[in-house]
Amino acid sequence: MTTEIANKAIYKVVINAPIEKVWSELVRTDEVLPFFFGGVCKTSGGLEVGKAMAMETKSGKYRSVVGKVLEFEPPHRYSHSFKFTGYDDPPCTVTYELKEVDGGVEFSLITTNVPAGTKTEKGMAQGGNYIVNTLKSIVENGAPSFGTKLMLGVMGLFEPFTPAQSKSDNWSFNDIEKL
Amino acid sequence: MITNNDLDHVFHALAHQTRRQILDFLRDEPGQAVGKLAAHFDVSRIAIMNHLSVLEEANLLVSEKDGRTRRLYLNLVPIQQIYERWTDDYTAHWAGRVSQIKFAAEQAAAKDQ
Repeated sequence: MTTEIANKAIYKVVINAPIEKVWSELVRTDEVLPFFFGGVCKTSGGLEVGKAMAMETKSGKYRSVVGKVLEFEPPHRYSHSFKFTGYDDPPCTVTYELKEVDGGVEFSLITTNVPAGTKTEKGMAQGGNYIVNTLKSIVENGAPSFGTKLMLGVMGLFEPFTPAQSKSDNWSFNDIEKL
Repeated sequence: MITNNDLDHVFHALAHQTRRQILDFLRDEPGQAVGKLAAHFDVSRIAIMNHLSVLEEANLLVSEKDGRTRRLYLNLVPIQQIYERWTDDYTAHWAGRVSQIKFAAEQAAAKDQ
């Protein structure tokens, strides 16, 4: 019980935009997503419960994050299992919650079942803040901040250093659904 | 964007030692119940409840109902927004170097004593 609770982290922000707009940015597929480190969300035919999703690099060569859709309730809730293909850690769960409040949408990113003391834990802690803030900036201003753009540029340069086990060929939608 | 009003709330919340300690405890053990958190402090539960509402107002704290318990989580996003307001990846690198050197040097000095 204690470990389950300790394995949960919440990143929350109020976004000044209509809920539909936040939702559509969040679940956009087949386009570069600055809030997800410039990755592209690929599916085998749309985001659907039980179906696989994969975050591909822009070139399509690597799938850095893969998972299965666990909940999909537009425009309020979306959750999926989440596995870094570069690490040998078991998948954790990411849940996005959207709630209409005064001044916009309360947007929460919640990570659960993150394996403690792993590289995945470190990656989730860095990624959670980044995703929440960049999504806010995109929905409100139509663009990520300058610092983010700079970072995305730098990250593109690192693609050649992605581990071979993250190659897209190693992570078919069929394989992901069996995770 | 983070508004000036939001920022006032965040800095006000952080400008108190007890509230900063609360955030330390929540970072070390996310999902702590209010009672357990209050037990760390030598002040009344009401005082702690007041601190919690200041932190929640600033969005530095998220609480969730779990049956009859209220579970508390640290929300890092406002601190990240403060950081982003004055920092970019280039300056972050050098500022990070300086703070790492300070940390390493002070640890080494403490060991010598």
